[in-house]
Amino acid sequence: MPRLARARTAVRRLMASLLAAAACTACGQPAGEGVVVRFSGSALGAEAEVLRAQLARFMEANPGIRVEIQPTPDAADQRHQLYVQWLNARAGDPDVLQLDVIWTPEFAAAGWILPLDRFAPPVDSFFPATIEANRWRGRLFALPWFVDVGMLYWRTDLLPRAPETFEELRAFADEARARGATPYGFVWQGARYEGLVTVFLEHLGGFGGAILDADGRVVVDEEPAVRALECMRGAVESGLVPRAALTWQEEQTRFAFQNGQAVLMRNWPYAYALLADSAQSRVAGRFAVAPMPAAPGGEPTAALGGAQLAVNAYTEHPEAAYAVIEYLTRPEQMLERARVVGQYPTRPALYDDPALAASLAVPPAQARAIIARAEPRPVTPVYTQLSELLQVRLHRALTGQQEPAAALADAAREMRRLLERAGLGPGASVAAGVPVPGGGASAEARVAAGR
Amino acid sequence: MLRGAEDGGAMGRAPRSTVPAHVPARAPGGGGRVAGGPPGAGVPPAAQRSMEAREARLAWGFVLPALAAIALIALFPLGWTVWESLHLHDLRMPWLGRPFVGLDHYAEALGDERFWGALLHTAIFTAGSVTLELLLGLVLALALNRAYRGRGLVRMAVLVPWAIPTVVAALVWRFMFEGQAGIVNAVLADVGLIDRSFVWFIDAVAAWVPVILADVWKMTPFVALLLLAGLQNIDAELYEAARIDGAGAWRQFVDVTLPLLKPAILVALIFRTLDAFRVFDLIYVMTGGGPGTSTEPIALYAFNSLLNYLRFGYGSALSVIIFLVTFGLALFYIRVLGADLTGERR
Repeated sequence: MPRLARARTAVRRLMASLLAAAACTACGQPAGEGVVVRFSGSALGAEAEVLRAQLARFMEANPGIRVEIQPTPDAADQRHQLYVQWLNARAGDPDVLQLDVIWTPEFAAAGWILPLDRFAPPVDSFFPATIEANRWRGRLFALPWFVDVGMLYWRTDLLPRAPETFEELRAFADEARARGATPYGFVWQGARYEGLVTVFLEHLGGFGGAILDADGRVVVDEEPAVRALECMRGAVESGLVPRAALTWQEEQTRFAFQNGQAVLMRNWPYAYALLADSAQSRVAGRFAVAPMPAAPGGEPTAALGGAQLAVNAYTEHPEAAYAVIEYLTRPEQMLERARVVGQYPTRPALYDDPALAASLAVPPAQARAIIARAEPRPVTPVYTQLSELLQVRLHRALTGQQEPAAALADAAREMRRLLERAGLGPGASVAAGVPVPGGGASAEARVAAGR
Repeated sequence: MLRGAEDGGAMGRAPRSTVPAHVPARAPGGGGRVAGGPPGAGVPPAAQRSMEAREARLAWGFVLPALAAIALIALFPLGWTVWESLHLHDLRMPWLGRPFVGLDHYAEALGDERFWGALLHTAIFTAGSVTLELLLGLVLALALNRAYRGRGLVRMAVLVPWAIPTVVAALVWRFMFEGQAGIVNAVLADVGLIDRSFVWFIDAVAAWVPVILADVWKMTPFVALLLLAGLQNIDAELYEAARIDGAGAWRQFVDVTLPLLKPAILVALIFRTLDAFRVFDLIYVMTGGGPGTSTEPIALYAFNSLLNYLRFGYGSALSVIIFLVTFGLALFYIRVLGADLTGERR
């Protein structure tokens, strides 16, 4: 019978622990344990290690707060879908959300994330563009964690210098190709996805155009935009950009450039370290980065990307959640992230720090110059929808199914209809409509009530 | 909600999924009829009526669980989808609330160029793939019907493409057609038919070639199998009689094989049309609907609206439209052509 007795004891223990667990759930905040903050963000490989180390230090300094990492998909679209579903269900978990730079206005307008102004974040020590991208109707909703910008990679062994205009770019690349140096001239991300919009945005800025103007009106069908798209399509039709690039995302363009098949490439900073690794790259030591070119009347433009940290509006612990964000965006944590995973700090002052020069592949002064010019994508709560409409039309124009002007006219018409449906049309003020979520159930409301 | 029922079939490509999705509505009537037995001889009418009533009750008892299951997994989600389609429900614009909008989403679909495009693409895909599958399937079935050594082995081998999961097959075909590295470009460029750098997936017309080929490759064995079963039902004596009458091979095929194969051809046609109309996985993997949206079928557009763009109301309206069209097709086949399947043999 001893076996049976053992089994009984085991069952009893199991029941006891289940009851204890149930009791803890019931009381919400187990006494003595402090609060638990759930953090959801990129946590794969080296990023996970540096994040864990930083959170461990945070918990040591703040014994009352326990931070748990909640795994979420790393692919932006999937994470976005998941967040939207959770927040529609008013889930208070995870407390801290890692947002893509283009989501902040959407989440802010939906009332899913808290304004951070009352915590008095040091906004002046961040790049102004990264702060602007996180503002909605005058209030700050997220802090920039690290920054990504579009860059022009060019072959130092094939070109005399980086091209400054699109015409120069074409001339340089044609000359190198005529010599038989490479099969392709210029490679960028041409598949039908968000990356195509960032490439378009950089051409658009280069021609002095925009998707939305300062008042939120759609101007993507105006002349500079048409010229920008004609420039991209001309590049494809003339063979400067390979037709295959219309199915490429970041990695395919990197492979082409890395194998020495292209003279120039538009890509994010992540590619630099990989291209500089002579074990896998044929162009190690023979390339550099520069701002994207511009046409007369335009400015060299880099699309602004990167990650932001925000507080879930339904959290039980807004103060603790902000404390985590404040800690992770401190200069020393940013320097560590730069060293371990090569991500670019969002504080310009750090680019004078010698430690950063050792960590980043791109010389800090160059990187800062490019980031300072970075252009946020349209700051609107319906950005992802606008982008989807634009992706389809851009791809139709580039694959020769539609003329650029017609494609952009259609895109603009669809965008205006969408803005109208969203209540964001000309003259409409969504500010009045920025809802207080949950009829007072939100953390913001609770905080306001003095909780 | 509807998508679950609809896509289960498209994903698995299992033939059984097509019919149950649309037939359930007919089940209650059928269930009722089952109860009526042949009138017993010599039983008093009253007793017979009570026995019939008892049997009817028993029959209802037997079919009730099935009816409940159908209501739960087919009718309830369908009703919910219809309800959703009448409401504005956009997860990404929660500030708009969820007001009742009547038939607005249907009106939007009718004015939506992408919707009509998707419908057209679905029709192109269905017509192209089903025609080729029937023709090739018939040839294959005739070949398989011959008596020769190792026939069993050949029949098994022919079925292999059908047994491969659609997503895997789609990935392999995409790989073969991909740019300069793809085997298709290498071969066709050697023959001199295309330029080696030709990109299939960025051409609005050429992108259909790999898509339809992959579907034909995968589904022809299934059609062949159905037709083979039909062929084997044809009495060998009929051919003998035809030969004696002096009919050649072609004459035998046209006057004996084809008419007697008609029921099997219709079955294959029904399965394949309904399946092809809901095509999703193959195109999702191979082209994602591109370039632009020029290979996007209606099921993929509904999926995008629902799960990527999170427009539950509009996506539901599109799902309801898919349902109505497939339902209409099924009804058409069953009513108009069904007589040939179930009716008396000639």
